[in-house]
Amino acid sequence: MLPFSIVTRPGRSLHDQIVFAVTKAVITGQMQPGDSFPSVRALSQELGINPNTSAKAIATLIERGLLEPHPGIGTTVARWRRRPASDGRAAVNEQIDRLVVDAKHLGLDLDDLVSALRKAWK
Amino acid sequence: MDTVLSASHLTCRYGRTEAVTDLSFDVAPGTVFALLGPNGAGKTTTIRTVMNILRPSGGAATVFGVDSRQLAARELATIGYVSENQALPLWMTVDDLLAYCKPFYPSWDDALAARLVAEFDLPRGRKLGRLSRGMRIKAALVSSLAYRPRLLVLDEPFGGLDPVVRDDLVHGVLELAGQEQWTVLISSHDLDEVERLADTIGFMDGGRLVLCERFADLHARFRRVEATTADDSAAQSVSTVAAGWLGVQRAGRVVRFIETRYVEGDTERRATAACHADRVEVFPMTLREMFVALVRARRDADRETDKKVPR
Repeated sequence: MLPFSIVTRPGRSLHDQIVFAVTKAVITGQMQPGDSFPSVRALSQELGINPNTSAKAIATLIERGLLEPHPGIGTTVARWRRRPASDGRAAVNEQIDRLVVDAKHLGLDLDDLVSALRKAWK
Repeated sequence: MDTVLSASHLTCRYGRTEAVTDLSFDVAPGTVFALLGPNGAGKTTTIRTVMNILRPSGGAATVFGVDSRQLAARELATIGYVSENQALPLWMTVDDLLAYCKPFYPSWDDALAARLVAEFDLPRGRKLGRLSRGMRIKAALVSSLAYRPRLLVLDEPFGGLDPVVRDDLVHGVLELAGQEQWTVLISSHDLDEVERLADTIGFMDGGRLVLCERFADLHARFRRVEATTADDSAAQSVSTVAAGWLGVQRAGRVVRFIETRYVEGDTERRATAACHADRVEVFPMTLREMFVALVRARRDADRETDKKVPR
């Protein structure tokens, strides 16, 4: 069994889905620093996916500092460090744009959006 | 060696019918290559030729650098082959089949065979003739995985099987994952399974390879686009259909098409201009949607050329 929640859906890239699911699990504390992370092989077997895809997702997570490789032992969850604010802001700006467009389109006002964000933040 | 399997200008004729025409592709080591295409596209013929069951009428295929016509016991001992139409010795039990196969393969792994039999819930003492179709394919897969082949060739392995059996087969195939040499050539219509497994997609139609590309690249360049126009009179005309747009359709205020050369921002801008739209949405596509779009586009193109034939 995998130590994080994921239901893969066809259509979206599996790599992105795994990276997102693990990032979410680390941020929400579903996985704690030092916890061991499944191997490439275990991840492929559990999700029924190509091992090259698992390997790429794990490499991305290591690169983003969410996982730590320990040669010969395996991979563990890294101590999660906040990224510098400017870096983070650029990454979410585009998603905020979309969120604002969608919210306006659906007739929500700023207060609705803020309270929805507050709820999701917890 | 930078390719495990390679076809070069492969052509196969049955009598006067050309089933495969001038087919060239390479399967890189450590990858899963999926051959897709509608029925009669030539997938099985290609696989049977590569496996030396058929002789090519032209061109050649090599496996581990050996010409397919010269494939002998030494190479075949490192290749696993499971086909939908495989003839199995139906009078043998599951245990008999495994005992019969074992001596042919120096690398046979009893522990792996036993583990797969248990995972697949195969009744060891039952004759193959008395097993369901799904169970028979599982037995065939065990007999082809137990020697840890360096190349696994699967011809329509999932055909007509229930989702649980398909899932079992995928997990069985992934048993080999992580061993040093692991390359798979698979032909299938079960696009959900292929989407999870394939690195490279080879798309065949009418005996030709019309597309051969890494799945990640396909994923990046295919999008379903929906443009909504302010008033439905404008929707009557799409001023320019850009190269790479497939199956442009209109319904009321909505224009829908498949973009095959997606560039973020650029596609949205061009769709807005061409459709006089005030709202454009793009959606990533599943392999199934890409497959249907490609087959439809080819059918439409054929119809167009038929029309142009002088009367």
